[in-house]
Amino acid sequence: MLKATKKRFDIKITQANSKVSETFELEKNIVKVHGVLVTSDKDDLLYYRGTQKIEINKEEFFPDNYESKLLMSGINVSPKQRYYDLGGVAPGNGRVQIEYKDLDDGRTVFTPYRVSLYLDCEMEDEL
Amino acid sequence: MMKEGVIITKIGIKQKGERKHFQIKLPKDTKFIIGVEYGGRLIDRPEMVVIEPRPRDEGHFTPFFKRNELIGELKLQSCEEANWFYSADVLANDVNLGLGDFSQSGFPVNDFSHGNKRTEEIVKIDAESTIIQGWYLDVLGKTKNRDIKYEVKVYVWINVEE
Repeated sequence: MLKATKKRFDIKITQANSKVSETFELEKNIVKVHGVLVTSDKDDLLYYRGTQKIEINKEEFFPDNYESKLLMSGINVSPKQRYYDLGGVAPGNGRVQIEYKDLDDGRTVFTPYRVSLYLDCEMEDEL
Repeated sequence: MMKEGVIITKIGIKQKGERKHFQIKLPKDTKFIIGVEYGGRLIDRPEMVVIEPRPRDEGHFTPFFKRNELIGELKLQSCEEANWFYSADVLANDVNLGLGDFSQSGFPVNDFSHGNKRTEEIVKIDAESTIIQGWYLDVLGKTKNRDIKYEVKVYVWINVEE
């Protein structure tokens, strides 16, 4: 039986104007990735300063310099519609890579912050 | 099989009223252009671009709605068709986002916390030639009457044949 599950992966941004790249692995029983969402503990920094590249199974879904604000949803969006729809991607080797870039923006002052990548997945129930 | 992709183009603006012509190269296997959206980032210090409140004019009605700040004008043209296929006013954040919300004292309304979901504007253009001509005109610097540095990003969504 298939069931919906949400995955969260965190990266830490500790320096202004830096690039952080991390690869995460999904469980083997995940069969589809339906959506992507990014959030942060300091939303304004992510909104104004962030860009990222996202790859799933070595396939690029969002290229370099894709602004984080385009993958964020505020509280005005209903919870069921907050994820960016990828249309049910097969995860292949299950590797999800995020390459996040922080860039100065005139409206914010840098302090270390966390970026969370959420994935809306479908997994095979092992039971 | 068709696959979606996005091409990102940065336009750097340095001078007031600057006009930029640019080209967006598409991959050879592009079939259609399916959407366009834009974003941007301010490079200058914020005090350069702060929106000054309008002076109170006693005896006149002050509207609740505020005007969104116009940053510039963006136009795109496909090489094999006449006329622009995309034309937009590039606007800053929605300044009326909190209108009618009386709970603002504890949770201030901001784009990054209360913003709507962003989606591209849908267009459907053949992509037989692989170049898009673009044109951007600065309005922000012109309005403030000073040179303001910022960057506009144009996202062109495409359908690629695999």
